[in-house]
Amino acid sequence: MKAYILKKLLALPLILIGVSLLVFVAIRALPGDPARLMAGPEATQEAVDNMTVRLGLDRSLPAQYASFAYGAVRGDLGTSIKSKLPVVDEIAERLPFTIGLAITAYLIAIGIGVPAGMIAAIYRHGWPDQIVMILAIAGASIANFWLALMAMNTFSVQLGWLPLLGAASWKSFILPSITLAVLPTAVIARMTRSSMIEVMSQDYIRTAYAKGVLPRNIYWSHALRNALLPIITIVGLNFGSLMGGAVVTESVFNWPGIGRFLVDAVRYRDYPVIQGVTLVAVTGVVIINFLAEMLIAFLNPKIRFD
Amino acid sequence: MTMFLKSRHFALACAVAGSLVFPVAASAATLNVMQTEAPRSMDPGDQTATYTAALLDPMYEGLVKRDPDLSLKPALATEWSADASGLVWTFKLRPGVKFHDGTAFDADAVVKNFARHLDTKRGLAASGRLRTFLEGVTAVDPTTVQFKLKTQYPAFLALLTTGPCLMVSPTADAAGTVGSKAVGTGPYKLQEYKSGEYVIQAKNTDWWGGAPKGEDLIKWTWTAEPSVMNMALQTGDADVINPFPAAFAAQVKANPEMKLSTTDGSAVFWVSLNTKLKPLDDVRVRQALNYATDRDGIVKAFMNGYATPANSPLAPVTPGYDKTLNPYPYNVEKAKQLLKEAGYPDGFAMSTIVQEQESRIGELLQAMWAKAGVKLDVRKMEGGVWSKAAFQDPAGKEKDNIGSSIASWSSGVNGADLQFRPLYYTKSASPAGANLGFFSDAKLDELIDKAASTLDEKARNAIYVDAQRQVNEQAPHVLLYTKQDLFATRASVKGAWVIPGGLIVVKDAKK
Repeated sequence: MKAYILKKLLALPLILIGVSLLVFVAIRALPGDPARLMAGPEATQEAVDNMTVRLGLDRSLPAQYASFAYGAVRGDLGTSIKSKLPVVDEIAERLPFTIGLAITAYLIAIGIGVPAGMIAAIYRHGWPDQIVMILAIAGASIANFWLALMAMNTFSVQLGWLPLLGAASWKSFILPSITLAVLPTAVIARMTRSSMIEVMSQDYIRTAYAKGVLPRNIYWSHALRNALLPIITIVGLNFGSLMGGAVVTESVFNWPGIGRFLVDAVRYRDYPVIQGVTLVAVTGVVIINFLAEMLIAFLNPKIRFD
Repeated sequence: MTMFLKSRHFALACAVAGSLVFPVAASAATLNVMQTEAPRSMDPGDQTATYTAALLDPMYEGLVKRDPDLSLKPALATEWSADASGLVWTFKLRPGVKFHDGTAFDADAVVKNFARHLDTKRGLAASGRLRTFLEGVTAVDPTTVQFKLKTQYPAFLALLTTGPCLMVSPTADAAGTVGSKAVGTGPYKLQEYKSGEYVIQAKNTDWWGGAPKGEDLIKWTWTAEPSVMNMALQTGDADVINPFPAAFAAQVKANPEMKLSTTDGSAVFWVSLNTKLKPLDDVRVRQALNYATDRDGIVKAFMNGYATPANSPLAPVTPGYDKTLNPYPYNVEKAKQLLKEAGYPDGFAMSTIVQEQESRIGELLQAMWAKAGVKLDVRKMEGGVWSKAAFQDPAGKEKDNIGSSIASWSSGVNGADLQFRPLYYTKSASPAGANLGFFSDAKLDELIDKAASTLDEKARNAIYVDAQRQVNEQAPHVLLYTKQDLFATRASVKGAWVIPGGLIVVKDAKK
């Protein structure tokens, strides 16, 4: 196990180098010139050329990557083209907002998705199952963006219960986190249902019934514990798509997180910001997946890492 | 394992705790203004976006300012005069003015401000226009500066109110911090800039003009989503929305708690035709496209009526505009006839590139031009991609088969030269300028140059009338409409106004 962890930890820098290289090349393959965008449509070609030099974009790509990588290793992700502030500071300011939102969304998704999936499994083919599955399909298909606007209009504009924009108090968390939670809730509910159904058909569950164990105890202690493994896997793997959802949700709700930051950065081709945010997000996804694997090993001692 | 779990709990606790501790921002004495985009820089000389200029306006001042009646008035200069040649201008500076960081505003500061734009190595975004006509600025004494122009330039005084001519603290500029921390002389100073969230400006109690008239604080936020802007106005999250999306105008008008303001704008929308590409090199074809365009239809369908069909390359608010022009009424038959004369009785196929927000215009034109036999391929592009494609040279556009580009241009109230020169002058052909269709006409170039060096306003405007006729006749653009500037406020807000082109002035606004 220790060897496995060590191996994973050693692989992390390699993954990050690969990702940073990929992001670096992909951004520069995007059409659109940051110097032209920064200088504005009224700028002369001379002004655009000067801006290109000022932004260091006249240097060769390997030279640009080398200075980016050298900086990143020392914790310096460069300076934002737009705000002229260090990218590290900009990310540090916004990261807690995104993490806070993601955690709240996950707590909601697990808190609702797991029991809903269990109910659906227990009443398989019954009406509770059908209701849960209809809601899960709806939740998985509704566009985040549309849902956010509907929620804002209902709870902020019409009812006036919750703040519309920004992150001024704990109440500001409610609408964005629920919006963000809808998709993972649906995924978790479906996963829990199928996983529970599979476990419930196992011999040891039948044995437990035969021994007269209370159904409540069977569901929670026997079935759920064993059904958890695929759920944790899916939670870990879905962290990436949650981040994708955060980009949309944060933009609509004016949430000061890294998702909205990324959208703005792409609009202005703010290369250092796009690189920095992507690198941080990818690191987050890799770490979460790693933690999910550890948690699975912890819950299921049968799994051995070789 | 335990260690991992513990650290995860710790991270979780930190994140949640961190997310719940936020600065208090809004209060009764705060005017909340929401715009469509985040500020691009805190340095007015390093950006050219109208909405950023609006945000910077309460903090910075120029030698000259524009009043709500659009006339030019003294600001940091108290008086000025030009010599007989019109090339040397002398300005008397207001004494006792200080920047927000305590640096004295004097002739030396003015010289340094213009020197940074004339220094080609600085590469500031807004320098280009100044360099075309400004030779240099010198200090005569601590309260007197002298400007030397390369040629006579009628728009000179008006330009002194714009971004590159607003005075930034030389101390902050030398420290390299002005891009992220505004330091001007204005009635408001920067209190807090959270680049992902908001900008807060506080009253400058030491302002030379006495106590500022507006609210204690001005808080700026931004969103790109029109329906969010509308909701923010309804909930009171924003007191002022600029620009207000036309789609929600009727809703605001019907609500007594809100107020919609419309003023004639200065942005002219057009389709720039690639005059280097067949068959658009034929003037008859370009005219045919103009006849085949139902401008009233576009105004109704796309702008909800909040626009004026364009009859000239200039907006009605631009000095020199000729309202008597009406060269291209909607006439499909005439368009077909012209195409036939040009040798295209069955029409032809062409393409246009358009940014997402204006893509509906492309679709409307596609339907309209189809009636005249022109098959239009509309290529929608994200902003960054569009600007790269639009500013290509003739060879690049031929390679990508870009027949036309849909865009807009606003010279504001700063003079017709700023509309004609970038869009129609031979030397402004892209990528050098915004003459995206590479239009070249010796007669028009001559008129533009002649007008630019004619100081007498009446004579100059007469030349511009000729220039408008020439553009209309040669039809390098299909002129579409002039947008009205729409902004909305809560009903109680007083004192906010807009400079044609969309720059909202809120420093005197009360709610």
